[in-house]
Amino acid sequence: MSSYEENPDQIKRADIVVGIPSYNEAKTIAHPTTQASLGLLQYFGDKKAVIINCDNDSFDGTKEAFLNTPTAIPKIYLSTPAGVRGKGNNLMNLFARVDALKARACIIIDADLKTITPQWVRHLGEPLFMDFGFVAPLYVRHKYDGTITNNIAYPLLRSLYGRRVRQPIGGEFGISGELVRIYLEREFWNEEISQFGIDIWMTTQAIAHAIPICQSYLGRPKVHRPKDPGADLGPMFSQVVGTIFGMMAPCRPYWQGVKWSKPTAIFGFGLGEIEELPPMEVNKERLYQRFSEGRTEFQGVWQRVLAPQVFAKLMEAAEIGREHLDFPSQLWAHVLFDYAMGYQHVDGEREQLLASLMPLYFGKVYSFVLRTERMSIQEAEEYIEDQCMAFEDARPYLDERWGNTGDKDAQDSRSR
Amino acid sequence: MPKILAVDDEELILLLYEEELTDEGYEVITADSGHGLVERIAQEKPDLVVLDIKLADADGLHLLQEIRNRYYDLPVILCSAYEVFKGDVKAMAADAYVVKSSDLTPLKKAIRRALEGRTGACEKGEG
Repeated sequence: MSSYEENPDQIKRADIVVGIPSYNEAKTIAHPTTQASLGLLQYFGDKKAVIINCDNDSFDGTKEAFLNTPTAIPKIYLSTPAGVRGKGNNLMNLFARVDALKARACIIIDADLKTITPQWVRHLGEPLFMDFGFVAPLYVRHKYDGTITNNIAYPLLRSLYGRRVRQPIGGEFGISGELVRIYLEREFWNEEISQFGIDIWMTTQAIAHAIPICQSYLGRPKVHRPKDPGADLGPMFSQVVGTIFGMMAPCRPYWQGVKWSKPTAIFGFGLGEIEELPPMEVNKERLYQRFSEGRTEFQGVWQRVLAPQVFAKLMEAAEIGREHLDFPSQLWAHVLFDYAMGYQHVDGEREQLLASLMPLYFGKVYSFVLRTERMSIQEAEEYIEDQCMAFEDARPYLDERWGNTGDKDAQDSRSR
Repeated sequence: MPKILAVDDEELILLLYEEELTDEGYEVITADSGHGLVERIAQEKPDLVVLDIKLADADGLHLLQEIRNRYYDLPVILCSAYEVFKGDVKAMAADAYVVKSSDLTPLKKAIRRALEGRTGACEKGEG
């Protein structure tokens, strides 16, 4: 991909890069840029460092806001060509530049981060100089922040690929130069990955390529623009879920051998007391309404995609009604596994298939809120862990279904 | 026969582990303190470690970090009388967390799972 670049300090080599992907983040990008510079200076002062803003040709002055932020560390601005959007495209641009700079370590941070400190840069970067190849973030989040992570990405990734990465789409990562080169080969690349699918793609690729992974404890809660799970889902849902389902066929040789999950190493403690999390509003009524409306619209699709016994269980759960709607973890695992199978079969109608899954997800989140609203964050975390165990217990169901029909699909997928 | 290293500062608990886990078909070796644990692992090469948290001479969660930094994929099961440490982020580096009881059924289940889990991929080696 060709790109526009401004490199005012003519930087040609670097040991470590901090990359900040963006699209119209003029109001927010100065803070993470400043913190990245402070962190690089304080903890990687003996290394050649550069901060790169990989942008989508923003029209709100993101480039100027980034380049005009005073920093001791040099900066490079990169952009995709006009009209080419997507976080995945941004990061591919970044990775090409990281490789050209021959950097050993690349840290990625979101442009709208409010709570980043210099220590985040240290904790995401240091493990890369200690033989780890991929660093995922570990921070305290509100129990209703990250509902796609908690209810889909984490349990699916863990049960499929056998590695516990608590924030697989967290947005902050550390990546070794070796892994950057693997990413640049663009295995299984598609449109969804070039957008918000990139985070789960990067995490999955790291696991599937047997890259040593650690989770880095960042201490402070992640605070960025908050999103109500019933309102702000947008295209992110289909891009993340589509990427997970889409990678299952080509990654089958890896995940077919996985039985139970294993933990990852944890890096970075001693960051002091955890700060109080900002409050987060969840509109329960809207969640239930979207589940209920989806039932009217998609019940026929559900019946076609889900195995008969799973569909029957789902209808049984739906009949319970608003006050006590329960979406048991095992049923949710079977629903997602059935949809993963369905995704392999419908080539041209994948968007519609994922659209029919979304109301079920709203129903699951509604049930999750009902179950956990009186729980502390720690108790909700244990609930999520139990849910993950239910996914792992349900793996034979997926293996059996995939064994019956999936291998042919995997071959088809590879040849496409 | 999988070799299990059980680490606990209570002699009776170690005896219980030794007796019941041997009956399950494991070779059991024991350590009554955290002192020199990483070196003991290097020497004995166990397939799994059962680790207490409140040891008289060491913090099991700290030991877990030391083990994990050196042995990326060695299964470690935390077995503590206290449930409260389950919420400590450091405990996430363990394969499982079991609350201590005279009924070892949950521990045995956790051991079976950890040993059945895939190994070989993602090895960091011995650091």
